[in-house]
Amino acid sequence: MSPTWRVLDTGVREAAENIALNRALLDALASGEAPPTLRFLRFRPCALLGFHQSVDQELDLDYCRAQGIAVSRRITGGGAIYCDEAQLGWELYAHKRDFGHASLAVISERICQAAVAGIRTLGVDAAFRPRNDIEVDGRKISGTGGIFEGDALLYQGTLLIEFDIERMLRVLKIPAEKLSDKAIASARDRVSSLKDILGSPPALPEVKARLLGAFEREFGVSGVEGTLNRAERGRLEQTLAEIDGEDWVRLIDRPTGDQPLHEAWVKTSGGLLRARARFDVPSGRLKQVWFTGDFFISPRRTVADLEAALRDTALEGLEARIEAFFEGRGVDMLGLRPADFAWVVRAALEAPALAPGTAA
Amino acid sequence: MATVRGCNLPDDLYYNVENNVWARREADGTITVGMTAYACSLAGEIVSYTPKKAGKSIDQNKSVATVESGKWVGPVKAPVTGEILASNDAVAAKPGTINGDPYHAGWLVRMKPVDWDAEAGVLITGAAVAAAFEAKMNAEGFGGC
Repeated sequence: MSPTWRVLDTGVREAAENIALNRALLDALASGEAPPTLRFLRFRPCALLGFHQSVDQELDLDYCRAQGIAVSRRITGGGAIYCDEAQLGWELYAHKRDFGHASLAVISERICQAAVAGIRTLGVDAAFRPRNDIEVDGRKISGTGGIFEGDALLYQGTLLIEFDIERMLRVLKIPAEKLSDKAIASARDRVSSLKDILGSPPALPEVKARLLGAFEREFGVSGVEGTLNRAERGRLEQTLAEIDGEDWVRLIDRPTGDQPLHEAWVKTSGGLLRARARFDVPSGRLKQVWFTGDFFISPRRTVADLEAALRDTALEGLEARIEAFFEGRGVDMLGLRPADFAWVVRAALEAPALAPGTAA
Repeated sequence: MATVRGCNLPDDLYYNVENNVWARREADGTITVGMTAYACSLAGEIVSYTPKKAGKSIDQNKSVATVESGKWVGPVKAPVTGEILASNDAVAAKPGTINGDPYHAGWLVRMKPVDWDAEAGVLITGAAVAAAFEAKMNAEGFGGC
């Protein structure tokens, strides 16, 4: 008989409660109080920071307040996201030793590939994109992140069943121009949802069953529906007291000025190339960049893939990373050269920062 | 100096092998704490570092700092019980320093141990270091630094 995993479905909850459950379930697993678990969850509208992020750098708090969008901090890594009831969260609580390999990159790829296999059974051509995205034709459909505690780990993702891109652009300070038709179209080149791809959203129970089936196959386990145990409920209550409040949201609090937004255009022989980049001054890293313009590139997803590859790049390694990205890839650019992307990012960083408060 | 599967593991340091951390005893009785080269290799490039604040008391095997790499968050655990004396501003500015120089520039916290002699018995040092990490790497399917 194959080993069993508990399957939890905790329904739609507030952000703080979902995050407190992350901590409670992970600590319960690490302490031997709970079994390996696959959990499905959904959120009331919220903006979620990555563990190491700072709220003023990532979110438009005034908009969140005005719209009743809750703000919280995940315990896992990665970037800020907007979530509401139309996304399905999936989470795996397991032991590192069961992966037979302790490298975090290997573990996340294996978990993501299992989720990819499940999504593909819905008729969607999903793929894993290093380091941590699941994408369809270059458009992100599930972001992921993890945390470990001793031998126990939690790895989580949100699958976009439907997604309100305009709201995401308002909530997150991402380096796109806000709310023009062009910005929304440009965001649609980078983010997608099952509804966008399939025409109508698949039923939630079906999506859960496909994901569960894929995890069962990949890990050779069978899922058994369960509920939170007493130890976990006790831990939840304790953790919630810590997480449901301003101290947790402000746990890491850096000034907005540490991450200015820069912009530049360059005229290349392949057309106009424009970069908007957010730069972290203290660490000397490019946080995020968006490329737009009237250049030709094929496959079109190359731009989104390049942006993903450039997240959190130390500036001194920029040229090498861009070169490595293009090497061996069959990209057709009609006059645009790989070096032009590095050139426009450098030009942006040399330009004065856009005024604080500029729509990011 | 020990090298195990390409990972540098200086044998004058004290290791908690399970937690993949090291401690160096300084002349004034304090210790410096950091991640091993092996831990860095498993993590990949570290992009964030949040240490516990100076003045805080931390129990043995509790977290002295949190680091992030490849969207994974993980704790770095105290080799012994003690008070945090300092964290590393250079690492806060450039967390990748941890990968580049894990035993010197990439240190994570300085601590004042409560009772080093009583607690250091579980730490491994000297000639036993190489075998202990070889066994860990073998169990964890590790190819090499």
